[in-house]
Amino acid sequence: MMTASPGSLADRTLRLLRHPVLRRLAQAFFVAFLLMVFAFLLIRLIPGDPAMILLGDEATEEDVIAYRKLLGIDGSIPSQFGRYVSNLARGDFGVSIRSREQVLSIVQKRLPISLWLTVTTIFMTVLLALPLGVAAALYRRTWFGHAFQIGASVLVATPVFFSGLVLILLFAVQANLAPIAGYHAGFPANLYYLWLPALTINFVLVPVLARILQSSIVETSSEEFVEAAIIRGTQGWRFYWRYLLRPSLAPTIAALGYFAATVVSYAVIIEIIFNLPGIGMTLVDAVRNRDYPLVQGIVFLSGLLVVGLTFMADLVNGWLDPRAKIR
Amino acid sequence: MSEIKPLLEVKDLCISFRKGGGRKLPVVDAANLSLNRRKAVGIVGESGSGKTMLCRALIGTLPRHGAGIVSGTVRFDGQELAGAPERVWRGIRGREIGYIPQSSLAGLNPVLTVETQLVESITAAGSLSRQQARQEAVALLEQVQIPRAQQVLQARSHQLSGGMRQRVMIAAAIAQAPKLLIADEPTTALDVTIQREILSLITQLRQELNMALILVSHDLAVIEESCDDVMVMYAGASVEAGPVAALSNAPRHPYTRALRVSRVDRAAPGQDLEAIPGDAASVGSWPAGCRFWPRCALADEDCRRDPQPALMPAAQQLSACIHAERLSELEQ
Repeated sequence: MMTASPGSLADRTLRLLRHPVLRRLAQAFFVAFLLMVFAFLLIRLIPGDPAMILLGDEATEEDVIAYRKLLGIDGSIPSQFGRYVSNLARGDFGVSIRSREQVLSIVQKRLPISLWLTVTTIFMTVLLALPLGVAAALYRRTWFGHAFQIGASVLVATPVFFSGLVLILLFAVQANLAPIAGYHAGFPANLYYLWLPALTINFVLVPVLARILQSSIVETSSEEFVEAAIIRGTQGWRFYWRYLLRPSLAPTIAALGYFAATVVSYAVIIEIIFNLPGIGMTLVDAVRNRDYPLVQGIVFLSGLLVVGLTFMADLVNGWLDPRAKIR
Repeated sequence: MSEIKPLLEVKDLCISFRKGGGRKLPVVDAANLSLNRRKAVGIVGESGSGKTMLCRALIGTLPRHGAGIVSGTVRFDGQELAGAPERVWRGIRGREIGYIPQSSLAGLNPVLTVETQLVESITAAGSLSRQQARQEAVALLEQVQIPRAQQVLQARSHQLSGGMRQRVMIAAAIAQAPKLLIADEPTTALDVTIQREILSLITQLRQELNMALILVSHDLAVIEESCDDVMVMYAGASVEAGPVAALSNAPRHPYTRALRVSRVDRAAPGQDLEAIPGDAASVGSWPAGCRFWPRCALADEDCRRDPQPALMPAAQQLSACIHAERLSELEQ
């Protein structure tokens, strides 16, 4: 029996390739490739190399050259890059110059801590920003709206190293609700160590996200379909969720994907303040030591994570808002 | 025979925008409207005459636009709606009064399917199961003459044409079989061929469901076709009201007459159209006295004095013009 075929195989393949999700995925791969190149080049832009730093000021030119060969960072930049890419292709991220430990195993040890910090932070961000943004939109003409506006500006302008110390004083030293510093692995015990660092980052993220949400809800509420829904008699949670919140979420979710990325960079400062042995702290040490393989590995792998998170935010958006899908 | 109580009676309604510092900007004053059950009244007037604000007052969404009722009464089915709290409006919107908003091309939520939005309107009234509500939604779409109702039910706003969207909006408005349907310029955003279809659909539904209708338009021809009565608004006030035939054959207000003679469909070929001289009085700069006097050939000293009367009986209709009987002078 004949079945109607929607075009030839080539046609169907072409249509599949044009699918927005696939296109977005291809973009993600391209970004990952650029990331790999940047990770390689950036660290080499900094003056000084690991051989010089390890051998100290008294080392002779010959010693430095010999040591470079030993570390595998000899030869021209292109030839180094070739080796780096072909090793990466085999899943080999190299060995840390300082500790002689596999880069991958260092990342595997340190990244989970930063990941837990990121997840906790984002979870708290959503939990705090969502109700705050909605309330700020609904009550924007009352005292609450004005207080929110001022409070948000003040919090965003406060640097995290300052708010972090204040929070430690308040919650760890005075109230004894959190440890002053340190970390112990294992969920849910680790939350005890993470909630204060996460709150510190949220002092910056929550006001920004709540404001994004507030302004998109305000914008949505002047849309005709909102009044049309009121006129039809739509009320209660249906009205708030379907007509105000859901059509307003797209910018907030996009921002959330981007925020997940910035948490990784906040982590550098936060992990130092709270003495969390995460990837941020490791990265700072690695840069200081010009530990080429370690820096490359951390930048590339945590970058991949960010690319993955933004990709996921896009998918969620496409599901929530069909307008985003057709663009 | 006992006097029939009108379904809707608007008396001397005044609406103002609230500006900062307690100042007010009037947009409607002295709006008067009376509508019996199953009858259709048209509201005609230029943009800025307060037609849409009057309609919003009838559905209780003025505060959303920073406006409110200052004085006057709105009696609907024995209930006073002017100044009614939200609780009362919840029982009115959709159930008692259906509303097709102006340029409702953007009236559907772009992230939801037609089904979600229709089912919502249907279930708002009673306790229907999801399956029953779905069947009801299909029936509604068929009632507004949408072909392939099942498919349209799954569609979202951007997948539908303007005419289709308007039909869906109408379906949502009549979902709970309201006693009164308000259509605020239901065809302005559509193309001409579809305008006609939508208007005849509204008329047909009105008869099927025994609804009263308020049809707002700036086009007198549209109203003459589908309404029993007409109310003419100028600069926030009702200037003439009465049966459609009376107003179109023997208007008793210079503005109504001007609207009539400026109509394209009444002009003879080759003849210049008679435009209304001057500009429409805009909100915030209404003249003292009768608002129409700067554009009126009959205007004299009496017309520029405040206060001017509200609607008074004149022939078969009501007119706010103090020179209503001199209108025939204009025909020369």
